[in-house]
Amino acid sequence: MATEKNYGNPELEAKLRDRYLYTDDTNPEFLNDVKKVSRTIAHMCYQCGTCTGSCPSAPRSSYRIRLFMRRGVLGLEKEALNDPDLWLCTTCYSCTDRCPRDIAPTDVIMAMRNLAFKYDIVPRNFLKTVQLIYTTGHGVPNNDVNRSAREKLGLSRDPPTTHSYPEFMPGIQKIIDHYKLKENADRILAEEGQ
Amino acid sequence: MAEAKEQPRIGVFICHCGTNIAGSLSIEEVKEYAMTLPGVVVAEEYQYMCSTPGQSIIVDAIAEHNLNGVVVAACSPRLHEPTFRIATQEGGLNKFRFEMANIRDQNSWVHMHDWEGATSKAKDQVRIAVAKARMLEDLEPKSVPVEHAALVVGAGVGGMQAALDLASAGIKTYLVEKNPTIGGRMSQLDKTFPTLDCSQCILTPKMVDVGRHPNIELMTYTEVENVEGYIGNFTITLRKKARGVLTPAEAEARGIVGGGCNGCGDCAEVCPVIKPNPFELGMAPRKAIYIYHPQVNPLLYTVDFDSCIKCGLCVTACGEEKKAIDLDVVDTFEQVRVGTCILAIGYDLIPIEGKKEWGYKRYDNVITGLEFERLICASGPTGGKLIRPSDGQIPKKIGFVLCAGSRDNTGGVAKPYCSRFCCMYSLKHAHQIMEKIPGAVPYLFYMDIRSFGKMYEEFYYRIQNEGAKFIRGRVANILEDPTSKNLTVFTEDTLLGRPLSLEMDMVVLAAAIQPKPEAERIRQMFGVSKSQDGWLLEAHPKLNPCGTTTAGIYLAGVCQGPKDIPDTVAQAEGAASAASIPIHIGEVQLEPYFAQCIEELCAGCGMCVNLCPYGALDLVEKDGRDVMEVTEAKCKGCGTCGGFCPGGAIKMQHFTSPQICAQIDAFLLEGGEQ
Repeated sequence: MATEKNYGNPELEAKLRDRYLYTDDTNPEFLNDVKKVSRTIAHMCYQCGTCTGSCPSAPRSSYRIRLFMRRGVLGLEKEALNDPDLWLCTTCYSCTDRCPRDIAPTDVIMAMRNLAFKYDIVPRNFLKTVQLIYTTGHGVPNNDVNRSAREKLGLSRDPPTTHSYPEFMPGIQKIIDHYKLKENADRILAEEGQ
Repeated sequence: MAEAKEQPRIGVFICHCGTNIAGSLSIEEVKEYAMTLPGVVVAEEYQYMCSTPGQSIIVDAIAEHNLNGVVVAACSPRLHEPTFRIATQEGGLNKFRFEMANIRDQNSWVHMHDWEGATSKAKDQVRIAVAKARMLEDLEPKSVPVEHAALVVGAGVGGMQAALDLASAGIKTYLVEKNPTIGGRMSQLDKTFPTLDCSQCILTPKMVDVGRHPNIELMTYTEVENVEGYIGNFTITLRKKARGVLTPAEAEARGIVGGGCNGCGDCAEVCPVIKPNPFELGMAPRKAIYIYHPQVNPLLYTVDFDSCIKCGLCVTACGEEKKAIDLDVVDTFEQVRVGTCILAIGYDLIPIEGKKEWGYKRYDNVITGLEFERLICASGPTGGKLIRPSDGQIPKKIGFVLCAGSRDNTGGVAKPYCSRFCCMYSLKHAHQIMEKIPGAVPYLFYMDIRSFGKMYEEFYYRIQNEGAKFIRGRVANILEDPTSKNLTVFTEDTLLGRPLSLEMDMVVLAAAIQPKPEAERIRQMFGVSKSQDGWLLEAHPKLNPCGTTTAGIYLAGVCQGPKDIPDTVAQAEGAASAASIPIHIGEVQLEPYFAQCIEELCAGCGMCVNLCPYGALDLVEKDGRDVMEVTEAKCKGCGTCGGFCPGGAIKMQHFTSPQICAQIDAFLLEGGEQ
């Protein structure tokens, strides 16, 4: 199978790239994995487009939830997990509310993110969030701007969370350690030299 | 009760059903096992036992081995019991000397991948059937005469067609319609796809025929109150709702010669009460004394007693000569006797406002397909001028939401099935706006265009060619601009892979359809089941689509499942044909599964009489004491009485206690000593 042509011009070659979908591109187990993790009937998608039509992310980005549903059905594991768009879902659940097949596309996306993490495919900002939660208990920790805003509103400088009760931090760290989240985040970021 | 019984001589015939059975279990082993069973003198196997050679094996074996019982291990009795009973009869035995073991539907199809298990289960099933076959008795079916009349419930296009066919075949037909006029849903439509015939134009000739046919007794504004009896002999009680208006015939019966309603409408003119007209889906007014539309049949006004204030103005307006209005009438009841009945009770749209994302009833300019029909219809509330409900302006961009609540598994008001005619009527709507409004552009938001009928795909081609825009995407939600009342439709163009936001002047929802609310009560009266989707259940989806599991009751039209006009009319003709057969034969044979009273055991307690759901049992005095007596024609053999009787005095023919006990024993004792 000639999957590559050689015209010596990289731009032209990219345009003329073979776009056939080959059996080798698919992993039939991927759909089962997605179903197992998401606990939804991901195989029942009939591609009506209600999800993308409902999606607040779609008109503002290249994220297409329906495309990920299709990749799941076809078992296009690599294509799904390596697409950075996977991380653009805000998990608002509008698609899940409206899906006429009663599938939870949001949970399919979450499942794919989980599976991607197993291959160390995670955007850096997600890993840094893990580190922040580990050290402060917050994905977005309090800062001085917030503190003065809170004071103006007559609130305490720090909210009644781990910021005020640092004694709960060891418990949070124990949970994160159990799933090796921090360990993996540190490792992946270190491998990337950050 | 030691009776001198003949020695059982049973033949067992095992069917391969191609590979349906033989592919999942060992026919040979089952056959060898059958030969070891007590009473079995011959066991045979054949590829298709229901075929002519297969049946010959049974016929020949009966003669050769002098059999007195036949067991066929094959498919379901529902499918082939009649076939094998005839073979048994042809072999010279009473046809009730036959017992069937269902080793296909209840065995090989279920245990397709368990050869050992299926083979062992087939042996159990054969052993159980043989146990019963040893105790079978000769029975004679009972023949009852059939009333030479039929009932059709619902006078839409399906009911009218069925009634016309029955009446033309010489059968007295009662056509019952709960509304004041016949015509049904079809009379609400403007045009029909794909021919674009005017719906009323092709329907009114039928309505006129129905009104004129000497064999049709048309009963509008009438509902079925009660059903009694069985095939050939139904007694139907009809409630003739108080109409407040006399027909010329009714007036004459009161001695008012030349009186009665002539449809002049003087009464409605003076009536002070204004109500929404349900025929126009509430988009036009009617008075408390009203007709639905100018083409009603019969042309007869009706008083809505729920809103009538009994001011009497109409009585005065009607005048002393006609004297057609009587505001003091009440509902009356009439009984008719018929041989067979056809149900053609139609459908409703789902309450599509339950799908909140599309804003029906919240946004003025979101309407249903049926409302569109009335708005585009020349006899409708706007005289056929399509306008926006919000401001009366003519819409230029109109969105059509297909599969609005159909093919939707989320529950609530939504339906999992395809409503089957929405694609086609939406295409027709698109054509109509392009034809009537210069510069109008229809946008059809669809998942699939299902144009399956004759000339339907061609119609799709035509509409696309006329300029309709097709967007392959199900509508996610609709938002209304509070000032302009324009609507923004959100979806994805799935073929482009881009989310879409389009501003429309008006949106038409092709809402899913559902059974009528009264369908539940009607089906219970007539003893008809419903399928999983809520529609009335046919006897067999392919081989008996017009019949039901209750003999003598047939179905026509959408009440059995979504269908368009051609399919409704075709099914109505099928139902009429099926319903006319018993009437023309003049008698029906009833299965002899009657309860029988063993009078010497009966204590005359009468408990069974109250239990019987069919009113088939009575206490009668015999030899100075009370005993139970069965009216065989009414008995359906359900076994309620037999199971209850404290004295064991009721015998259920063909399902006797000894027969059933023998089957249980045969199963539990693993074929050991009986």
